[in-house]
Amino acid sequence: MSVTNLLENWSQFRHFHPVDDKPHDPYKWAMSIDLDACTGCNACSVACYAENNIPVVGKERFSHGQQMHWIRIERYWDEDQNAVGGRDFPDQGAQFLPMMCQQCEAAPCETVCPVAATNHTSDGLNSQVYNRCIGSRYCSANCPFKVRYFNWYDYPSDDAWPAEMSQQLNPDVTVRGKGVMEKCTFCIQRVNEAKVKAKSEGRLVRDGEIQTACQQVCPTSAISFGNLVDTESRVHKQWEAQKVELDKDKQEKDEQEGGSKLRGYRILEELRPYPSVMYLERVRESAV
Amino acid sequence: MKDINEDIAWAKINQDVLKSLENPRKLYWVIVLSALAVFSVGVGCEVYQYNVGMGVANLNNPHVWGLYIATFIFWIGMSHSGTLLSAILHLMHADWRKPIYRFAEAMTTFSLMTAGLFVMVHIGRLWQFYYSLPYPNERGLWPNFQSPLLWDAMAIFTYLSSSILFLYVGMIPDLAIARDNIHEGWRKKLYSALALGWEGTDRQWRNFRVTYLTIACFLIPLAVSVHSIVASDFAMSQQPGWHVTSFPPYFVAGALYSGCAAIITLFIILRYVFRFEEYMTLPILKKTVRLTFAISMVWTYLNAVEFASVWYSHDEASKAVLIQKATGPYAPFWWGMIFCGSVVPLVLAIKRFQTSIPVLFVVSLLLNLGMWLERWMIVAPTFSHGYYPWTWDHDQWPSLVQWGMVLGSFGWFTLLFMIFCKVFPSVSMYEVKEMVYHRKLHSKKSESQGAH
Amino acid sequence: MIESGFDRRDFLKVLGWGGTAVALSGCGNTSVQDGKETVVSYVEASDYMIPGVSVRFNSTCTQCEAGCSINGRVREGRVLKLEGNPDSDINRGKMCGLGQAGVQHHYNPDRLKEPMLLNGDQSQSVSWEAALKLINDKLQGVSGDQIAFLTGTVSGHVKALLGNFMESVGSKHHFAYEALSSAVLRAANKKSYGVEMPRYSLDKAKVVVSFGADFLGAWVSPVHFSQQYSRFRKGVDGQRGVLVQIESKMTLTGANADRWLAIRPGTEGVLALGLINALGAAGLSLPAEVAAEVKAYDKARVSKETGVAVGHIDKLVALLRTRTPSLVLAGNGPDGFAQGSENVAAINLLNQVLGNVGKTVEAPVSAPFAQLQATNGDSASLYKLNEGMARGQYKVLFACGTNPVFSAPASLKVAENIKRVGFKVAFAHYLDETAQQADLVLPLDSSLEDWGTHIVAYQPGEAHIGIQQPLMEKLHANTRGAGDILLALLKSRRAEEYKAFEDYYAYLRAAVLQNKAALGGGALDDEGFWEQTLSKGLIRVAGSSAALSTSTVVAAVPVATAENPDYPLTLIPGITPNLRDGRYANQPWLQESPDPLTTIVWDSWVEIHPKKAAELGIAEGDIVEVISRTGSIKAQAYLFPGIHPEAVSVPLGRGQNWGRYAKGFGVNPFQILDPVFDKQTGELALNDTRVKIKKSGKRVIVIKDEGAAGGKQMGKKIAVRASTDEVDLSKEV
Ligand SMILES: Nc1nc2c(c(=O)[nH]1)N[C@H]1C(S)=C(S)[C@@H](COP(=O)(O)OP(=O)(O)OC[C@H]3O[C@@H](n4cnc5c(=O)[nH]c(N)nc54)[C@H](O)[C@@H]3O)O[C@H]1N2
Ligand code: SF4
Ligand code: SF4
Ligand code: SF4
Ligand code: SF4
Ligand code: SF4
Repeated sequence: MSVTNLLENWSQFRHFHPVDDKPHDPYKWAMSIDLDACTGCNACSVACYAENNIPVVGKERFSHGQQMHWIRIERYWDEDQNAVGGRDFPDQGAQFLPMMCQQCEAAPCETVCPVAATNHTSDGLNSQVYNRCIGSRYCSANCPFKVRYFNWYDYPSDDAWPAEMSQQLNPDVTVRGKGVMEKCTFCIQRVNEAKVKAKSEGRLVRDGEIQTACQQVCPTSAISFGNLVDTESRVHKQWEAQKVELDKDKQEKDEQEGGSKLRGYRILEELRPYPSVMYLERVRESAV
Repeated sequence: MKDINEDIAWAKINQDVLKSLENPRKLYWVIVLSALAVFSVGVGCEVYQYNVGMGVANLNNPHVWGLYIATFIFWIGMSHSGTLLSAILHLMHADWRKPIYRFAEAMTTFSLMTAGLFVMVHIGRLWQFYYSLPYPNERGLWPNFQSPLLWDAMAIFTYLSSSILFLYVGMIPDLAIARDNIHEGWRKKLYSALALGWEGTDRQWRNFRVTYLTIACFLIPLAVSVHSIVASDFAMSQQPGWHVTSFPPYFVAGALYSGCAAIITLFIILRYVFRFEEYMTLPILKKTVRLTFAISMVWTYLNAVEFASVWYSHDEASKAVLIQKATGPYAPFWWGMIFCGSVVPLVLAIKRFQTSIPVLFVVSLLLNLGMWLERWMIVAPTFSHGYYPWTWDHDQWPSLVQWGMVLGSFGWFTLLFMIFCKVFPSVSMYEVKEMVYHRKLHSKKSESQGAH
Repeated sequence: MIESGFDRRDFLKVLGWGGTAVALSGCGNTSVQDGKETVVSYVEASDYMIPGVSVRFNSTCTQCEAGCSINGRVREGRVLKLEGNPDSDINRGKMCGLGQAGVQHHYNPDRLKEPMLLNGDQSQSVSWEAALKLINDKLQGVSGDQIAFLTGTVSGHVKALLGNFMESVGSKHHFAYEALSSAVLRAANKKSYGVEMPRYSLDKAKVVVSFGADFLGAWVSPVHFSQQYSRFRKGVDGQRGVLVQIESKMTLTGANADRWLAIRPGTEGVLALGLINALGAAGLSLPAEVAAEVKAYDKARVSKETGVAVGHIDKLVALLRTRTPSLVLAGNGPDGFAQGSENVAAINLLNQVLGNVGKTVEAPVSAPFAQLQATNGDSASLYKLNEGMARGQYKVLFACGTNPVFSAPASLKVAENIKRVGFKVAFAHYLDETAQQADLVLPLDSSLEDWGTHIVAYQPGEAHIGIQQPLMEKLHANTRGAGDILLALLKSRRAEEYKAFEDYYAYLRAAVLQNKAALGGGALDDEGFWEQTLSKGLIRVAGSSAALSTSTVVAAVPVATAENPDYPLTLIPGITPNLRDGRYANQPWLQESPDPLTTIVWDSWVEIHPKKAAELGIAEGDIVEVISRTGSIKAQAYLFPGIHPEAVSVPLGRGQNWGRYAKGFGVNPFQILDPVFDKQTGELALNDTRVKIKKSGKRVIVIKDEGAAGGKQMGKKIAVRASTDEVDLSKEV
């Protein structure tokens, strides 16, 4: 209750930042998504609904843009497609991009939340504390990726899970009431389960021990998830091989003359949110 | 023309002003009841929204904010009128402010109270509102001091309490007059209690002056900071169209602008309803109009600065938002804002219209409309056209629930204001007397000079 | 157990093992995989019901015919989530969205819960005893020729029981109907390769040329092929596989192609022959009779007929010449025309001349048990049934898990003809369009609460028997599995032979244990083997590998349907990965999961090429009427660049009249399909309906996930694309 209490507690909010000399230890959860493998099939999105008790909002509410999918599959066409003088057909296909919370290291959503309901965890996640959230939606206003989803209605009591359907709900994840912000958590319930298990066995979480629901289901294994601190993890190796560094807002490889032959990049990196999700460029054959 | 006639007897001043506290006319009741009805519409909408969820406002992802926030800024802006007329002009010894500052101060207080409502109706979990306040608690849970929304909460609370104090302190001598001229009933008790035993002694007057001056000095930076902080809600964010350094002064200018415009409107209404022609004189109106014109040009300039700096910056996203404002689905409203905010005030530059009541009434309403549009055009287009093209949404419009609450807020404000006018003297009697006195001195001086 | 007068052969038939040598040696079962001790069998489920602790059961996905093996997470006796079983060669631990929605089928609030007698709008609950008695009464004195049984694709022990039941009533009229079938492909394959379904090995190919095969979306075994696809893309030593997709309406697979070629509807066979000709010209040695056959297909003519530019043909030929092996696939595009069989044959010929047969088109492994093997549904069988019904041939009709009233073209008048059948029994999950026509409706268990075995038609690795076991107690006390119903019916006719089996579970267990040795469980005791089988959720059996014929079969020349100025456009019904033929439309995840290409949800749409739309003055959201010779539907227009300007597409699967998540959402294009049939197989030519488009004057806002930017990145670096010469994949992790 004292001022010391205030200062101490509050100063912990933004303790972790990639440019601090103290990096995350022993965990920093991160992802990489290979857009050349991703086929846009939407299986990950359905898995996320199933795992995280995401309400189906129905046609009417979807028409108002009130859908809740924590991971959405975006489909892009080439820019010169159908423009005046452009090509008639998307003859190199579409581009699909799974977009969920990028778990930014310097998350724009965190700084603005008046009650610190969305804040940074010591293992590098952007966490969302449902019972603390007052529903001001400032976080969403400031999220460059627009991946935060607000409970515009009281889905638990709005028949989103009528009768028997509610038996499907995952008991490891809360069902959110109206007025609360939510978003992808990197399947925090799975992360925590593994962390607790590892701790009780006196070790660290091993690579592959945690699979996020979207990663687990993905038929093309486009998504990898793991501990960026662990040099043995696949995610670490991918980030390293792609020369993408967490604490950079401009990657050195991109500064090289003529660009690099590496596919890794992060979206809206220039805004300096330091996202924890690295994408690998889609590739298209030049010979055909 | 003179700001005020120097041969008004002091007793007549008391009489005229106190008459406004007497049993109201039918028109008064019509206004009060209409305001109540309009306010009820807003209350009904809020009850509905509270029960069903924010979705009924037709907000969505990305349009997470809508008219509530726009109207919130609008009312915060309105609140600057009182501070401008009372505090700033007081410090500048602008005598002409004296007959009109009281109701302007009341406006400040009431518009802040109205603005506060929008913070409430806007949040998804109204019942947890207090989480955003830094109250001591056993859990060591504090709000996030980094968040401009928290600064907002604190600044508004401070501004509101200071404004109430300023209004009240400035009213004490008048409350004593009321106390002394009314002989029975609840009014007598009320004024006796509120007058705090004011006798008009020298010592009291001296303390009064110092106190009033101190609060005035305190209030000015507060007013500037309040709207700067509201501007920070946007400027501190990273969003295109909001992330603008000039937002704080731009917001303050806009606030003064809408405050002035509202003063003109209320000036005209009060002058007519309470027959205050002798106090709220045309020369005073003219001064207010000229001030408003000056501010409108400052606002226009700052607008131009904002557009130019966006245009010549390399911030493509912000530029896209600006183009979108001028050409997209919001264009009618955006151009409406430019028209009402920058073109309509040119009328005020024409001498003939500076004292034309009907013209000024219409113009002042248009200016306020423009200022409301300005706030909406700050909030909405950024949401529909942010950094992430996939989520662009140009088809989302506020629902009737939102409009209902915007409407209701005008009812609420009017209601508060009407009650105030009947309970408290809306023209400062002692300051008008001072003004008449100054005026007399002045005319004597010029007579004697003329004799030489 | 074996009574006199009931010999071993009969007994094997009762148990579904008839007609095969059962002394086959199994591949041997290994113990339950290390680290997965929580995968248990449902038989002793109660041992694992620890509050707060999840248990996992392996079973088989029945949401589509691919038959992926699933791993269900169960807690407190409730199934929560379906994941893939890593042990399966089909899906290796992965799943598609449709499969995951199986839980919403199971928990669906609109499921039927009681047997019901229907009479017009009236319905009345009856007991199972009364229902079965009624069936037996109705079967009394009816000859076998007057009894028909309609199912979808069916395999495993239910099929064995069904066969035995049909035999017991003396009927040969089992019809297996699937509105979306691969019958044309299978028939053409049989001619080209000597087998109906070879194994396609994308991951061994350097180039895949797919003629409308949506193997990533809804074709044959999408989860399996998606996994192959991702290996194919990684390639060998960084030499990434190249995918060329040729189709008139872009599918999900087309959207992932390196080169997507829009082809005039129905001319796929012409292009295939043209490519063979061009390959010959580029130096590929062709058998003389083939060379003679394709000589007429010079590039200019082919380009003119198909609308594919000569430049693209040249590039494709060069690619196929330099990168081998390749793989050519024929899918739901080319096979859906009157000349569908010829189209597929021509495409298969391309595989043959490229030498892919035996390399990327491989001999399939088939499970040895004929009685259990899949009877693949097709549409021709429905038309046969329909003709019989129209003639008034049938007195009793059983329909199980199929909905022809919804999915057959209106011009066939299935709904009317079905009324001519004296007594109709529907085994159903929902009161769907077909069940609504029945006199008696029997509510089925969901596949998550029922037992079963499945042998899927497409076996990608070793032959599998997929085990289906309950993941939880029945949700509703009064539903039954199809196996149980058939068993009960059989018991009332052949009591003696079936009396040993209390229920379908007992039957299934006895059947598996009876054949323990052949199924690789020789070393284990009965209990141990049964438990192991259930924990694994599948049985691997050594299948026989049919030889592929490598001799080239010269294809007949495909002749495209003549132009029709009154109906200038071709309607290509969209087969979406989530909704398919519409039977699972009442699963809300599937309705709300955006269509991958248009991102539209909860509704139907008409895909029109933007140029065509401009010509017709149509804008996005215009409600347009799609008129064929046999009917019309109205839906919102969506301007879609991935469609040939001479075609329009409306997705299948919506427009039901039942179910809270299905009813009232969208329209049913099945209804307006013209009765055009593939000449060789009699299958409905799904893509051969000609239509015209009329604007209705109304416009709506299309409800979709895509925002106002319309799938453009507006110069931002969001979804980035590189070309192969800009990247080096060989050093990637
Ligand atoms: N009969 C009985 N009594 C018991 C116990 C028992 O087993 N039986 N258990 C005991 C034990 S172990 C415990 S811990 C206590 C628990 O007793 P309490 O501490 O009273 O716990 P809750 O009932 O969870 O109430 C917490 C309140 O905090 C609010 N809240 C949630 N988030 C925030 C926030 O961010 N800020 C603020 N200010 N408020 C918030 C919630 O809305 C709720 O009103 O009960 C004790 N009493
Ligand atoms: S499941 Fe995998 S392939 Fe499918 S959309 Fe998601 S990331 Fe892409
Ligand atoms: S992606 Fe958005 S929600 Fe997620 S951490 Fe970053 S700013 Fe926050
Ligand atoms: S919506 Fe919740 S999490 Fe977001 S800023 Fe407001 S209080 Fe914080
Ligand atoms: S990581 Fe988990 S929460 Fe996030 S999108 Fe994937 S499944 Fe959903
Ligand atoms: S492809 Fe999907 S629906 Fe079909 S069996 Fe596999 S998981 Fe089930």
